[in-house]
Parts: sequence; structure tokens; C-alpha cells
Amino acid sequence: MLQWIPIQVRDIQSNHGGNQMQFCEHCRITIKGSKNACPLCGGILQGQGEKNEDTFPHIPTIYQEFNILIRAMILISITTIVVCFAINAITGGTRWSLIVAAGVCCTWLSLFFVIRKRNNIPKSIVWQVVIISILAVLWDRSMGWGAWSINYVIPIMCVVAMIVMAIAANILKISVRDYIVYFLVDALFGFIPVIFIIFGWLDVIYPSVICVAASVISISALLLFEGENIKAELNKRMHV
Amino acid sequence: MTKKKPLEWIRLDNAAKIFPPNSNEKDTKVFRFVCELKDEIDKDILQSALDQTMIIFPFYHSVLRKGVFWYYFESSDLLPTVTEENKLPCSMLYHRNRKNLLFDVTYYKKRINFEVFHALSDGTGALWFLKTLIYFYIISRYQSDFKDNLPKLDYNASISKKMDDSFLKHYTGNKISNKVELRRAYHILGRRTIDHRLKIVEGVMSVKEVLALARSYQTTITVYLASLYIHSIFMEMAERGRKYPVVLSVPVNLRNYFPSDTARNFFGTIMVSYQFGQNKDSLEDIIKEVNDCFKRELTPEKLKVHMNQLAALELNAFTRVVPLSLKDVILRFATSLSDKGITAAISNVGKITMAEELSPYIHLFDVFTSTKRPQICMCSYEDQLVISFASPYIGADIQTNFFRALTEKGIHVTVDSNSSEGYSE
Repeated sequence: MLQWIPIQVRDIQSNHGGNQMQFCEHCRITIKGSKNACPLCGGILQGQGEKNEDTFPHIPTIYQEFNILIRAMILISITTIVVCFAINAITGGTRWSLIVAAGVCCTWLSLFFVIRKRNNIPKSIVWQVVIISILAVLWDRSMGWGAWSINYVIPIMCVVAMIVMAIAANILKISVRDYIVYFLVDALFGFIPVIFIIFGWLDVIYPSVICVAASVISISALLLFEGENIKAELNKRMHV
Repeated sequence: MTKKKPLEWIRLDNAAKIFPPNSNEKDTKVFRFVCELKDEIDKDILQSALDQTMIIFPFYHSVLRKGVFWYYFESSDLLPTVTEENKLPCSMLYHRNRKNLLFDVTYYKKRINFEVFHALSDGTGALWFLKTLIYFYIISRYQSDFKDNLPKLDYNASISKKMDDSFLKHYTGNKISNKVELRRAYHILGRRTIDHRLKIVEGVMSVKEVLALARSYQTTITVYLASLYIHSIFMEMAERGRKYPVVLSVPVNLRNYFPSDTARNFFGTIMVSYQFGQNKDSLEDIIKEVNDCFKRELTPEKLKVHMNQLAALELNAFTRVVPLSLKDVILRFATSLSDKGITAAISNVGKITMAEELSPYIHLFDVFTSTKRPQICMCSYEDQLVISFASPYIGADIQTNFFRALTEKGIHVTVDSNSSEGYSE
């Protein structure tokens, strides 16, 4: 069955400098370049080979240092929470350690989205507006409704986001098309305080009024000057 | 806004849709074509050749972005730069939320490496790009050899033809039952490296010698090598693993069956399986079974059925309105299900041809891909057949079985690898 054809090693020579190519006796293969061992069986090779004929550069193993930093921060967070709980348990009294734990978790939630969306700044800003608004309402509720979240946080977040986005777009030279949709979403989000005003949930009205006014002006400007772009962008991003 | 450029974007073709959600560090869905020339590569000439090629293939300017319901390609003004190879083979090219080109041209000594994210194009499409690049490189580098009679470039499809979505073009909309058979296949296990580097083992041999060998079994090179691959896997299977079939996934270039000049994706896959323990399980038995399988599956009708199934799924009203992040999860789950039925993969890119005048400068072509399981990619240029194993595992037993079986039949094999030491586990 096996038609064994002996290979004459001498026949197979590299074209350059006449240096003999390496050969593995077990696999009966010639080797390109110069290797320490047979790439197949790991056996000893005959011949010297030619280093110049290597076809792949040597690439060292790189460990991701970024992850180390994140891991260290997570450990610090866990330690903080555990220490707070421990002290709280020993000293007794109010359960203030829960607030610390919730605070740390919220920070991480927000940070998670910053890292995840770090390559798209306008998107990252919109996400932060939404996350911080929701968290603010949750905090407000759980600490006994003081209405500070809807009085101040939500309207101020919307306006600040619009300003930051405009500045960032200018400084970082983000093209109009890349932030226009996010600007639009933020401006639409800025209409939500209208509901607060109508239902009379607010104690302090001026941040919400400013926010809604800014949103109306922004949206008008967007539609008047960038209407075509918005339409094209929405078509592109929303195609089904 | 004074400058108003038309907004250019394009949908992903049917086959491309599964790649973005499934690309990660372990399996980047990037493949590499290599062209080894006879002289060392000149960086500046390669860069200018690349710039010229980009004009012919504007689609390669695309970046991949996420919409609300689907991914899409957006044209960019990013310009590719040639660098000396300094990353692991088939490293990540697509990063979520980052705008960068989905291909990379590098060089190392005599080799030009062209890496492509699979969503952009399949092997055949990418090869057209590479052939054009090599053409421009050679005629510029060896200008004096050609004088006025420049060789011709053989790929002349118009830009719109190159951008065709051939899946939709050949979609007939016939209603077909969605019967998907799920059968667990044997899985090759192994130890991975820490940085998920692929182990590439390439074997160079003579087309004539291998063809003669395949003929002696009355079969084709692809069938012979696929059978040999199954046999090499079989030799490493534990007794209790043998109750599962060995299933090879074989990509098929649909351009050979349905007219198309697209430089984007247009391929399908067929499954070739062999259940051990029925016959003698000799190589001859495997060849017979694989041959039958190829004959059965490789018909335009069969391929069309599969194509239509996928296109129908894409055009289904319900799948369309599912938000992208949910689609990602579903597609990842579907892929992990279908992966259960696959042992390994073998892909024959086939014969690569270049203008005759260019051949004195070209040594060989080579191709391999990122993969979750050991995968063979092969292509031939003139009489050089290059069979490349890409594997995420450190061990090389299957590769050893495979190449030893060839050398035992008297075929001269020259092996090269990106890992300097060999391992046998």
C-alpha cells in the first residue's frame, strides 16, 4: 500500500547561498527558514536553514495592562463596601453602609457605559444623560421624595449635555452627521420637563423652563439648517 | 455647512450579517491572503500601489457602523497605510464603536499580507483586490522590465457590479420549510495560547504530485484532501468520541454556480460528514463517502435552497424590526448552536492566476483564516499548492498526521509555521 519513495535530502536545496534547508526525518518534510524544532512533531531538525527566509516576524505575547487598572479599581470598590459594612455592623445605628454601596455601584454603572462607548463621544454623552437621570430619580425616591431630581438634575443635565456636545464637536472636529442624531435625541429628552411643569410636580420651576426653551430653540435650529442631514442620518441609522 | 457630500452607506449582504456579532478576540473573523514575491518588498512602492488599488475598489473605504436595526457600511475618507507586519496573524480589525478600515495591508521580507474582515468580502472578492494590488506593485517596482507593453489587469467589473449584493439578486422568494437538522459533531479539543494566537502551519507542495495522487484514488484534490483531513482527525479521536460524526464545513464560492462579479460576500457552506464505525474506516471508505457527499450537495438547486432560506430569514418582517442589540444576542446563540454540528473546516480557494508577464516575480500565494477550530485553507499558484492549517490550539497532532500522510505517499512537502517550536501533546 505504501509506496515509499526515499527523498534525497541533498536534492532539496534553498535557492539562496546554497545553504541546505532544514529537514525533519520523522515527518520527512523540509522546513522553510530556520527553526529550533520541527513545527509538526517537535523533533530535532537536520541542517542549518536560512534565517533570512523566515516568513513570519516574531511577535511577543502582550498582556493587556488596561484590564489590570480596572481590576485594581474594582478591588478598591469592593474593599470600600466591605469595610463600610463591617464598621456599620460593629458600631450599629443607621444603615449608612447601604448608601455607600449603592453609591459605588451607581458610579460603576455610569463608568461602564463611559468605557463601553468611549469611541463615540456624543453617544456617550446621551447615555450619561439617560443613566444619570434615571439614577437620580431612583435615589430621590429611596431617600424620601425631595423632588430634587426633577427640579434640578434632569433639566440641568439636558442643557449641560447640549452645551458639552456643541463644544466637544467643535474641539474634536466631529462631523455634523456624527453628532446630529444624538443632539436631536438630547433635545427631545429636554422636552420631558414639560410634563413635570404641566402636572405641577415641581417646587422650583426655572431650570425646567430654561431646559424646555433651550430644547425648542435647538430643535428649530436643527430642523431649519440640518433638516436634510437629519433625514439622511435617520434613514441610514433606522433602516430595516 | 458649505460642503455637502452625499451620504453614502450600504447594507451588509446576507452572509456578512453573521460576522460582526460573532467577531471577538478568540475568533476575529479576519482572513489573510499572502503573496510571496521573489524579492524583498519595497514599502513605498507598495503604498503607492495600494493607493491606486483603492481607487478601483472604493468599497474598501467602508467602515462598519451600528444602526438601530442593522449594521451598515459607511464610506469614509480614511486612507490605508502599509506597515511592516507587527501584529499577530488575523488580529482584530473590527472594533465596536470605532471607525476604522476593515482591512490591512502589511509586509514582511518577501511577503505581502492582506487581511480582511469577513463582513467586507469573501475570499474570492478579496483575492481580486490583492491581485490588483500585486499588479500595480510589480509594474511599478520592475518598471524597466516592462517598458511599454504593460500586462493587462484581468478583473474589469464596473464599480456597481463589484458592490452588488448577489444574495438578493438571486433570491427567488420560494417558500421553503425551515427544517434545520441539529446533530452534534465530534469536537476537537486542545489548549489555547494566552493571547489567542493562531498557530499557522503551511505546507507547500507540487500541484502535479498531489493531483496524480488524488487521481490514483479516482477523485479530485479537494475531495482527497478533505478525506485525508477527516482521517487525520480520526487518528486523534478517543474511542468514546467516535460515536459522533466528523463534520467538515466547506465554504463554496457561489460565483461558480450563479453569475456574479461582486467583490463582496457570495459564498455558501456545505457540510461533509463521516460517521466512523460503519465500514473499515480506511481512507478509501472516507473518500467514497466524501465524494458522494460533494456530489449530492454541490448542485445549484441544493445551494439555492440554502441561499433562499437565509435570505428569507433576513427579509422576514419580524426579524427586521428586532433591535440590533437583541439581534446580536440571537445571532450569537444561533452560531453557537450550529457550531455544535461542526468538527472542522476546509476551504479551497482554488487556482490563482496572474498575467503571464507577472509570474517571474511571484513565488506563491497563501491563505488562512481566524478560526475557532482547526481549519484548512488552500490555494494554488502555478505548480505550488499551499495548504495552510490555522488552529487556535497549541498542539499540532492533526497537522502532523496530515502532512506525514502526504510525505508517506512520496509528496515533497516544505513546511513553515509562525510558531518556532513544535508541540506534540
